[in-house]
Amino acid sequence: MASDRTAFLTQMVEISTSTISFGERLSNLVHLLARHLKVDLALYFGLDKSKEVLGLQVSSQGPVPVSGRLEFRLGQGVVGEAAATRQIRLAYRYQEGVVAANAGLERLLPEYETLAAFPVADDNFLYGVLLLADHRERTFGPAERQTIHLVTLMLAGTVRQALLQEDSKKRIAELSVLFEVGKALSATMELDELLERVVSTTAKVISARGAGLHIVDRATGQTKVSSQYGQVPPAQLCPIMPVPAPGGALEPPFIQGQTQDAEGRTHYYLIVPLTFKGHLEGSLCVFDKITPEGEFQPFDPENRQLLFTMAGLIVNALENALTYQQVESLAERNERMVRNLTALQEISRALLTTVNRDRLLEILLQGLIHPQGLGFDRAVVLMVDEAGQTLHGVKGAQRPPEEAAELTLSEALARPPGRPLPVADWQIPLRPDCGSLALAVLQQRAFHIHQRETGTPAALDAQEYFITPLVVKDRAIGVILVDNQDSGRPLEPEPLHVLQMLATQAALVLENARLYSAIEANNRELMLIRERMLESDRLAALSSLASGMAHEIRNPLVSIGGFARRIGKLVEKDSPLRGYVEVIQEEVSRLEKLLKEILDFTGENLSYFGDHDLDQIIEDTLVLVQRDLDAHNIKVVKELAPLPRLHCDDRQLKQVFYNLFTNARQAMSQGGTLTIRTYPVEREDGLYAAAEVSDTGGGIPLEVLHNIFNPFFSTKDYGTGLGLSIAQRIVSRHYGQIEVKNELGKGVTFIVTLPIAKYCLVKDAGRQAAPAGALHVPTGGR
Amino acid sequence: MKKILVADDEMAIRLLYSEELKEEGYEVYTASNGREALEIVEKVPLDLVILDIKMPEMDGIEALRQIKERHPHLPVVLSTAYGEYKQDFATWASDEYLVKSSDLEDLRATVKRYLKD
Repeated sequence: MASDRTAFLTQMVEISTSTISFGERLSNLVHLLARHLKVDLALYFGLDKSKEVLGLQVSSQGPVPVSGRLEFRLGQGVVGEAAATRQIRLAYRYQEGVVAANAGLERLLPEYETLAAFPVADDNFLYGVLLLADHRERTFGPAERQTIHLVTLMLAGTVRQALLQEDSKKRIAELSVLFEVGKALSATMELDELLERVVSTTAKVISARGAGLHIVDRATGQTKVSSQYGQVPPAQLCPIMPVPAPGGALEPPFIQGQTQDAEGRTHYYLIVPLTFKGHLEGSLCVFDKITPEGEFQPFDPENRQLLFTMAGLIVNALENALTYQQVESLAERNERMVRNLTALQEISRALLTTVNRDRLLEILLQGLIHPQGLGFDRAVVLMVDEAGQTLHGVKGAQRPPEEAAELTLSEALARPPGRPLPVADWQIPLRPDCGSLALAVLQQRAFHIHQRETGTPAALDAQEYFITPLVVKDRAIGVILVDNQDSGRPLEPEPLHVLQMLATQAALVLENARLYSAIEANNRELMLIRERMLESDRLAALSSLASGMAHEIRNPLVSIGGFARRIGKLVEKDSPLRGYVEVIQEEVSRLEKLLKEILDFTGENLSYFGDHDLDQIIEDTLVLVQRDLDAHNIKVVKELAPLPRLHCDDRQLKQVFYNLFTNARQAMSQGGTLTIRTYPVEREDGLYAAAEVSDTGGGIPLEVLHNIFNPFFSTKDYGTGLGLSIAQRIVSRHYGQIEVKNELGKGVTFIVTLPIAKYCLVKDAGRQAAPAGALHVPTGGR
Repeated sequence: MKKILVADDEMAIRLLYSEELKEEGYEVYTASNGREALEIVEKVPLDLVILDIKMPEMDGIEALRQIKERHPHLPVVLSTAYGEYKQDFATWASDEYLVKSSDLEDLRATVKRYLKD
C-alpha cells in the first residue's frame, strides 16, 4: 500500500511540475486522485475573480460542459461551506438538507451517498474546493486525508502558479502593449493616424469587440466621433460621455454598463474620459469584451485601469499632436503669407516701373497667374468706360502649360503673358441686374462666386470665380476676375486676400497711368503752343527788325531809283552811261520788290474774312501767272471739284496759291505740267477742302526737304526764301495744313487742306464762321 | 501854275519829288516836317499837299489832321515807306495814300488826277 501511495504521490508531483497546460494538469490531477481513492466522482471548483462564486472547472467524468455550469456561492452547499470555513466538510445523503443544499450535484452523480469537500488553499489564498462524491457511504481515514491534503496543496500550487503565470503573461502583454502604444504615439504626429492606432490598439489589448474615440471639438463644444475600430454598437446601445456644462460638475470618472439589443443579447460598455488640465477633451470607449469562446463579457477593473492608462497616453499624445498641428499650420500659414507678401512686393515693385497702361496690365496679369505670384489659372481685367455705362474686357491671361512656366516671377513680370485670353468682346452694362461683375463695380465689393451665373460672358465658363473691384478714391474704375478653371483647384482664401491687397495698388497705378497720359497729352499740347508762341515771338522780332530796316532802306532806294530814272532821261540814247543807269534802275526795282515781300510776310496785315469759293480763288490766281507759265512752256491741268464755300481771307489765299504756282513754275524751267486738283476731305472732326498743286520739276533734293518751310530758306539764286513760309503762315491762320509730297525724279505736290467752317468745329475761326446750330460736333475725337 | 507842297524829312526825296514835279510844270514848295508844312499852308494858297508820315517835330498824320481842320477842301496825299498802313488812310481822312517807289509813275498819275483842271 505504501508503495502504491508513493507511486501515486510521485505521479502527482510529476503532473503538477510538468509543462503541459494548466487545464490539463488540473484535469490529470483530479482524475488521478479519483482513481487512487476509488471514488466515483472528483470535481474541482475554482473561486472566480469576484471571490464570491465557486464554479465547476474540472470533472473526473470528462470535459465540463460550458453551458449550464455548476456554481456554488460562498457558504452554499458543502463546496461553499468548505470554501467559507476553509475546513473539510463531509455530508451524507441521509443528513437533513444535504440533497437540497447540493442540488446541482445530483445531476452529475445521481443517488450519491457521500460528499466530501476539501478547500484548495495555501497559507494566504483560497483558490477553490476539491469535491469527492461516492455512491457508497464512506469515510476518509487519516492516511487518505493526508493524501488528499497533499493533493489539495499540489492543486493550490498548480492554480497559484497558473494564476501567477497568467498574471505575468498579462502584465507582459500590457507592458508590451503600452510600449507599442507609446511607440506608436511618438512615432507619428499625424493626428488622424495617431487616433486610429490608439483606438485599434486599445480594442486589441482589451480584446473588445469594438472601440471608439470621441473628441470634443473646441470650436463648437460638440462631441464627435474621431475614430472607430471593430464593431461599434449603435448610439442607443452605448451612451456617449456627456460634455459637462462650462463651470458645471466634473464628468464622472468612468461609465460602465450594459444594454440589450433587439435579439436579447447583452452588450457591455466601458467609457473613460480624456481629461487634460481639468478639461474634458473627449472619451475613449470599448464595447463587448470577447472571450476566446466568442462570448461577451463585462469589463473588469483591470481593463478599466488599462483603459485609463491608455486614456492618459492618448490625452498627452493628443495634446502634443494638436499643438504640433497648430504649430505646423501656423508655420505653414506664415510661410504662405511670407511667400504671398514677397510676391505682392515683387509685383508692386514691377508695377512702379512704368506708367504705361498696357505694361501695367501685363505685369498685373503675370503676377496673378504665375505660380510664384498668386498662382491663379486665369485672370481678366475689365475696366469701366469713360461714360461709366459699361464694363469692358481689357486684357486677360491664362497660365501657360507647366513646361513653359519655368521663368521666375521677376522674369515673367518683365514680359507679356504667354497665353493671352481674348476678352475684348466682353461688354457688361453697369446695371444691378447684370450679374456680379456689374455689382462688383456698383457696390464696390468683392464677390466669390461658386456657381456660374447666367448672363456672364461665354468665355467665362468657370463655376467658381472671384471678382474684386479696382477702387480709387471711392470710385470703381474696373474689376479683376480670377479663377482656377484649368486645374479645378478651389480658390483658397489666402491668395484671394492678397489679390484684394494687390487690387488696391493696381487700381492706384492704373489711375495714375491714366492721369499721367492725360498730363502727357496736355503737356504735348502745351509744348506745341509754346513752340508756336516761340515761333511767333521769333517771327515778331524778325518782323519788327525787318520792317524797321525796310523803311530805312526804302527812302534811299526811292531816291537812288528816282534819280537814276531822271539821269536816264538826260543821257543820250547811244551813250554808254545809259546801260549803267538802267542797271541801277533794275537793281533798285528788284530791291523794292524784295522789300515788299518782306513787309508782306512780317507786317501785321489786317485780315478780311468772308465766304469764298476755293476754285474761284485758284482760277483768279492762275490768271496772274498764266503769262509766266505760257512763257516757260508749262501746261496747266485743272481738276476742280465743286466745294462748299470757305470762310477765308481770299487775298491771303491768293497769295498762297500765287507762291505755290510761282515755285512750280521756277521748278519747271524747262517746261512741264502744272496740275491743280481740288476735292473734299472727310475727317474725324469735320469736312475739309483740299487743293493739290503738282509740278513735274523733278522733286526737291532730300537734304533740303526739311528746310523748305523755313523763312529765308531758298535754293534759288534770287528770291527771298519767304514764299513757302508765307504760304504756311497763311494756311495755319486759316486752321489748315500744308503738306508736301516729294517724288524724287518726278516732281513735288503741295497739298493745302482748309477746314470748311460750316462742317467743322474749328477753334476761333469756326466759331465766328458758322452759326452754332449748324456746327457739326465731332464724335470720337480726343 | 498849280502850287504843290512836298513835306518830307529826307532831303533826297524832297529834291527828287520837286525836280520831278517842276518838270511836270508845277510850282513846288518843300518842308522838312509837319510844322514847316503847316506854316507854308497858311502862307501860300496851295492846290495839293504831299505829306510823308514819319517826320520829326510833327508827323504827317498830325499835319494832315490840322490841314484838314482848316482847309477841308485842300487835297492831301500821304506818301510813305510804310506799305502796311495803306488800309488805314481812309480813317485819317487823307485823299490818297501812296507807297513810295522809285518808279515815280504813281506820283505823277496821282498829282495829275487832283490837278487836272
